Amino acid sequence: MADQASDFLKDYQAMAQQSWDAWTRYLQQQTASAGPFGAGAAAFTPAGTSDDLMARSMAALKGYGDWLQGAVSSGMGQGPADWQQSLQSLFSTLGGQPFAHAFASIDSEAAKSFGQIWQSWMQANPQGMPGMKFDVEHMAAFGYTRERQRLQQALAAAMQDYLEWSGKYQSLIQRANNEGFERLQLKIAELTESSKQVESLKALYDLWVDAAEEAYAKIALSEEFRHAYGEMVNAQGRMRRLQQQQLDAFCRDMGMPTRNEVTSLGKRMHELRREVRGQRPAQEGDEVAALRAEVAALKRQLAGKAETAKPAEKKAPSRSGKRAMDEALDVRHPKASSVAARKTVARGVKRK
Amino acid sequence: MQPPLRLDPAALMGEIAAFQRKLAAGMDNLKHQLEPEYANTPRELVYREDKLSVWRMKGQGKPTATTPTLIVYALVNTVWMTDLQEDRSMVRNLLEQGEDVYLLDWGYPDAADRWLTLDDYINGYLDRCVDAVRKSAGVEAINLLGICQGGTFSLCYTATHGEKVKNLITMVTPVDFKTPDNMLSSWSQHLDVDLFVDTMGNIPAELLNWVYLTLKPVRLNQQKYVGLVDILDNPKELQNFLRMERWIFDSPDQAGEAFREFIKEFYQQNKLIKGDLIIGGKPVDLGMITQPVLNIFAEQDHLVPPDASRALEKHVGSTDYTQIAFKGGHIGIYVSGRAQREVPPAIHQWLSTRN
Repeated sequence: MADQASDFLKDYQAMAQQSWDAWTRYLQQQTASAGPFGAGAAAFTPAGTSDDLMARSMAALKGYGDWLQGAVSSGMGQGPADWQQSLQSLFSTLGGQPFAHAFASIDSEAAKSFGQIWQSWMQANPQGMPGMKFDVEHMAAFGYTRERQRLQQALAAAMQDYLEWSGKYQSLIQRANNEGFERLQLKIAELTESSKQVESLKALYDLWVDAAEEAYAKIALSEEFRHAYGEMVNAQGRMRRLQQQQLDAFCRDMGMPTRNEVTSLGKRMHELRREVRGQRPAQEGDEVAALRAEVAALKRQLAGKAETAKPAEKKAPSRSGKRAMDEALDVRHPKASSVAARKTVARGVKRK
Repeated sequence: MQPPLRLDPAALMGEIAAFQRKLAAGMDNLKHQLEPEYANTPRELVYREDKLSVWRMKGQGKPTATTPTLIVYALVNTVWMTDLQEDRSMVRNLLEQGEDVYLLDWGYPDAADRWLTLDDYINGYLDRCVDAVRKSAGVEAINLLGICQGGTFSLCYTATHGEKVKNLITMVTPVDFKTPDNMLSSWSQHLDVDLFVDTMGNIPAELLNWVYLTLKPVRLNQQKYVGLVDILDNPKELQNFLRMERWIFDSPDQAGEAFREFIKEFYQQNKLIKGDLIIGGKPVDLGMITQPVLNIFAEQDHLVPPDASRALEKHVGSTDYTQIAFKGGHIGIYVSGRAQREVPPAIHQWLSTRN
């Protein structure tokens, strides 16, 4: 019987492995032919484009595949007695960090781990820092290249700071991972007191997701997390600022416009735009006030003429004068203009 | 007592094999998918400025409502959530009810928009959009329907330009930005937002999407896609899924200055409910909102917790305040089947007695 069970387990694992390998191969074929220019264009493809993006898209399914694979390898379902041991084994198979894997797979270009940036930077500056590592920040700077050395030192210190905060953040993620596992065990234990049972790997997975999210939410809302999170992002910002300063210096040397210069230009243009827009209503208001004053002056002028002119010489307002007044009033309010014009004319007629 | 796990090896083998089969077969279906279209309800352009557009949405018949309703979406994501697909379109539903619907599409800011402030957005762009709708409809005041951050903008706008707003509807709108269950707020408290914006410029949409995904990392980044395997063989469901993915990830970057102000003034200092918010020199006092207000929020909202929205009741000046709690999440309130049945009719009914 023992041999039979053992054979079954081997077949079972072999089948899962084969099907998983087949799917992975399939994916690789898809990505290999995904480029519109074929394999010959590979040399011109930026690193981490099509293959990398496809892998990122499929990372979630890969994570679930790892889960299934882990379940098989851990002997889940082989012994009814010690389910806790099976679970432990499953999590060990997954490297103890299934939750952290969910984070890793959403890493993107914009949110790229600064660890990678640090590595790239180190690779780009191998001669300048042989054997110095982080001690470079404590080296006194002097001489012609003093300012650049200071910038490099500040950058090294900022990167060190970032790595420290990132480490604290990662340790909280790891804690969420562990507590998620503990919660899963509790949830499963609670099932023993009910009539419910977990009968599939998917159901077990869903239960783990619930447990992991609950544990994560508790930690993510804690003061410790918010502090680590904020400081990690701030450390990224400090590092980014120093990198930008370095890049700006490089651009200046090459006679290229810098990010700072473009930003300043954008700011000035925007301020100018706001100023112009802000003046527009005031200008429009001024125009209306000027027109009103003109209308009032015309009215006074007409009234004055009416008073001084002899009755025989009195005429209705000249066409040109009337039109000017009407137009002026039209600007203010079309309806009011016609009424006002009628009233003015009527007064003139009456006096006649 | 029975064991909690009843994992039969043969059944497990079958389960894994079935998953692999579905995945392998489904991959072919994924290969042949076109970019899913939104509902694309017929519309006409009413106003355009810089990158934003105001659309008048057209239904089968003429609107019976006499007051138009302008939908103001958040700056993050796009307004097309409200017109996602033909059978899941809040816009279409509102049109069918007889409402006269306008949409404000903020567009996609780029480096030229880096210095846009909240003043530019609320007292500038939004005010001119409202004027355009007033002119288009020939009315003095319109209805505003603000969604999420767009709801917060609509509140600020109504408090300062009340004469142009007849009725105000807010949906999943944060008002109290510091409720204990607000994860986004919690994470922003120690953020040096000046440093962040000074070094980032505009805030990339991809970065914000990453932040949203980390609110529920396993559920949103893994479990959801495991579920996708179950619908790979269903073309309609697959299209719906991919359409939603398009909407989620086709997001605009955030103008740096407006982002800086929004995080500082709202998330970190919670000024909207403290009453000391000033935008463009104008004090924003929620007590000044005396228009009828309909506040709709989602009970399972992980982005804007219900209490963040409920707070409006305490601070708004209106004596005609109505609140609706929807059983669903931040997105489900627009696209779920229940939302189609419940939300637009509720909005229409509320408006019809106030227009």
